[in-house]
Amino acid sequence: MAKNNENDVSKLSFEDTIKELTGIVSKIEQGQISLENSIQQYERGMTLIKHCRQILSKAEERIVKISEENQTENSRKKTE
Amino acid sequence: MRSNKLKIYTVTQINRLVKAAIEEILPPKMVVSGEISNWKRHSSGHCYFSLKDQDSILPCTMWASDFKSVKFSPENGMAVLATGRIDVYPPQGKYQLYVDKLEPAGIGALQLAFEQMVRRLEAEGLFEQMHKKPLPPYPQRIGILTSQSGAAVDDIKKSIWDRWPCAKLFLYPVPVQGEDAAEKIAAALRDVNGRNHKLKIDVLIVGRGGGALEDLWAFNEEVLARAIYNSKIPVISAVGHEMDTTIADLVADARASTPTKAGVTAVPDMLEVLGQLAHFEENLRSKAQWKLELCCENLNTFLAGAIFKNPLLPVQNRQQQLDELCAKLTDLIKETLAAVRNKLHAGYVQIVKIEPHRLLGKKTVELSDLKNRTDTAIRTIINRLQIQLTAQANHLVGLNPKAVLTRGYSITKNKSTGLLVRCLDDVQPADLLITELAGENLIESEVKTKQNITVRNQD
Repeated sequence: MAKNNENDVSKLSFEDTIKELTGIVSKIEQGQISLENSIQQYERGMTLIKHCRQILSKAEERIVKISEENQTENSRKKTE
Repeated sequence: MRSNKLKIYTVTQINRLVKAAIEEILPPKMVVSGEISNWKRHSSGHCYFSLKDQDSILPCTMWASDFKSVKFSPENGMAVLATGRIDVYPPQGKYQLYVDKLEPAGIGALQLAFEQMVRRLEAEGLFEQMHKKPLPPYPQRIGILTSQSGAAVDDIKKSIWDRWPCAKLFLYPVPVQGEDAAEKIAAALRDVNGRNHKLKIDVLIVGRGGGALEDLWAFNEEVLARAIYNSKIPVISAVGHEMDTTIADLVADARASTPTKAGVTAVPDMLEVLGQLAHFEENLRSKAQWKLELCCENLNTFLAGAIFKNPLLPVQNRQQQLDELCAKLTDLIKETLAAVRNKLHAGYVQIVKIEPHRLLGKKTVELSDLKNRTDTAIRTIINRLQIQLTAQANHLVGLNPKAVLTRGYSITKNKSTGLLVRCLDDVQPADLLITELAGENLIESEVKTKQNITVRNQD
């Protein structure tokens, strides 16, 4: 089950993950779930946050790479 | 009366005498001026009409052979000069003028014929602007229909090449005056049109130099007018300027007043075209430049936008959102744990307040009391049940089948089958029998004979 969940997380889009995360926060916030369930949700939330951070850091890497390539190209054009 | 010595003539004789008198007195050729009336052209081609003036009338006949050379169409009321001789027509007893030449009085026959034809073709719509084909603006292949020998061909060539040296010229030599000139020009026009899918002529020029009205007559003839009208290739007329207009000029798609002006009508001026091209070029270049600059500007505007200035912005925004969520989640779980811990502590405090020893003593007393009450109740119930049970047991003893054995009854079973012996058929001679008596005593015996007591009694 836990393995399945992790698989699920790696396939989730950023937006869907944030959506689920927001849902978890409000569920805990309302305080109508058991402590055990709260801890499970918290654990799930942390997994989701990790997943989101990975997505963002990959995106950041790509953007930096793209703008570096662009700058090299521009400066090469200017020297031509 | 007869004795008056007057001679008697036959009708024929009289007509002959009149004929002779006329021939003797009148000149053989006379020109008569009058107005046509009762005009009638017979299907044979002969024409019958009258000439009249205010007071009298003269019957006329014109043979088809003579009428052929008349260039105009005679009509009633038309003032004419008729040339011919007077003769008698015996079958009707009348004299008449035999006309061999008929001309309109006042204007010339050629002019009249021209005007008549103009009216007719106009009525048919041949001159109408809606039928004029547009001239090609930049003709490359120009056909010229004129005399090979005249000055007109050089005039036309020069007038074209002065303005438009790139044009290719094709000369189709035709006679431009004389009897059948019109028919030959018309035939050449039809021929060029018929072959134009190969010739690819853009425009045709039909013309000749100036001359007297009679010299230009071919250009006034209907056959040429119709050939020009039917041409699929646009036709420019270029006939010398001494006459105002020819019919060819009226039918043609465009008209040059002389052959030397054909070029102005037919072709554009090369210098002007080059000037236009230069203008277009400049225009195109500046428009393209302007468009390019506009696009660059647009691109720069886009590049100045936030997303290109800081491409990481969307990521950073999301990072912030995520951090906020993460902080919130951590806070929440801590709060939840704290709340549970609080509850737990509160529970402990309450539990401590309960003083369990006191509670236990009280509960023990209660418990032993309950135990005593229960024992008493149970014992009462058991006693009652024992009494009931004894009664039931006694009753059951009475029902036991073996109880009757004490009263002297016995139970006999067949030893081999183990079944109760109820009738004669249950045993055979020599079978062993077991007989049970009261006090669980058994007797074993053997069957000697089977006898039916009832049967024997009857014997």
